Amino acid sequence: MSTLPTLDLPPPFDEAVARHERELMRFLLRTTRDHDDALDLFQETWLRAYRAWPKLESAAGLRPWLYRIATNLCLNRARDRMRRSRVIGDEELDLAHAPASSNGEHEGVLQLKTAISHLPHNQREALVMRKFGGLEYAEIATALGCSSESARAGVYQALKKLKLSMELLS
Amino acid sequence: MKKALKPDEFDPASDEATDAAIDKMLHLARQCLARAIAPIRRSTARVGVIKSPLGHLLVAESPRGLVAVTYLDSSDGAATLTALRQRFDLIEDGETAARIGGEIERHLAGDREAIGKRPIDLSLVVSPFQRRALSRLREVPAGSVVTYQALAAAIGSPSSQRAVGTTMASNPLPIYVPCHRVIKSDGKIGNYGGGVERKLKLLRAEGFEVDRGDRIPPQVVYGHWQSRIFCKPTCSAVHRAERKKWIIFNDSGRARGAGMRACKICRPA
Repeated sequence: MSTLPTLDLPPPFDEAVARHERELMRFLLRTTRDHDDALDLFQETWLRAYRAWPKLESAAGLRPWLYRIATNLCLNRARDRMRRSRVIGDEELDLAHAPASSNGEHEGVLQLKTAISHLPHNQREALVMRKFGGLEYAEIATALGCSSESARAGVYQALKKLKLSMELLS
Repeated sequence: MKKALKPDEFDPASDEATDAAIDKMLHLARQCLARAIAPIRRSTARVGVIKSPLGHLLVAESPRGLVAVTYLDSSDGAATLTALRQRFDLIEDGETAARIGGEIERHLAGDREAIGKRPIDLSLVVSPFQRRALSRLREVPAGSVVTYQALAAAIGSPSSQRAVGTTMASNPLPIYVPCHRVIKSDGKIGNYGGGVERKLKLLRAEGFEVDRGDRIPPQVVYGHWQSRIFCKPTCSAVHRAERKKWIIFNDSGRARGAGMRACKICRPA
């Protein structure tokens, strides 16, 4: 019996939302470190994804594609804030801004967060996707629009810089 | 000011927002997203691939009716899918595809009701001219054929037979919108998007016998589209009336079945 050709369609949009909403929200929270920004970008990411859904070619490409949209939106938002902070001269865009904590045992975590926030954008995104999102290097490469080798190198460089920062701080 | 995560929503051990905090955010985000997407939401179409006596077919059905049938071996299935995805959210559905496959099989086995009354959705057809041509073509009954020229005249554009030919070539619903029932004005069977073999197979399954030379057979009768009278090919009325107003039936029985009466001059059997 001959088998029927398969269509390899991306999953229905609602199914994709249900499947990836949690990890995407976590990713956005990690990247923006802000509730409202994460919520805004979450909605914007899925809206953009829905509009561009007809261009998504296969189910396999869905996850890195979503991360790419989310990453671009985060980048745009950071750029906007940078412009605004230049104009009004405030310190709003201080990426090192970490939540105030009265608990001394959080100090190391805060230092780590600060160090992560000081990483170059691509290295930071690659690190977050790899270590917190659990993405493969190929998926990170698709999301960031670079080669797998660059993605791998980005994560490596980020870890190297973090290690150095933490050593210096301690 | 940037609003950071509250300490109780942030788990320092794992450096992650807690599940409860994420759940709360997702609950809110889902509601907002549903409201934002509602105005741009596309309708859903169910698609699938079936194996039929005519080969592998890609079929799609929207809530309004059947929207696409594509011969996968002779057409670009990817182009059909792209066109469908621009207008619909697609769901792969083997059951719907199998049901449509069953209809096509019954049609090929001679069941005239199998596909005739099925609602169709011409969403993939953009031009009003093409919509008119395809809608009118559905009125040409099984067991008969019509020329490109006659179809053009029937939709009020008697000199647009070439445009009708282009419309037939891009018909998104072959079999259901019977472009296989359109032939050349010289009586030759003409081309078909799915290949001439399929055209002959469909015509023969519908009871229209085609000669070896792929020409219409001699026993056909000509039915007038407006007067609803059918004549022998040799009848003087056939020669007097414009050729473009005739539907060609395989035999008198088919013409009568389509609601026509016999000519009183030539008295076809």
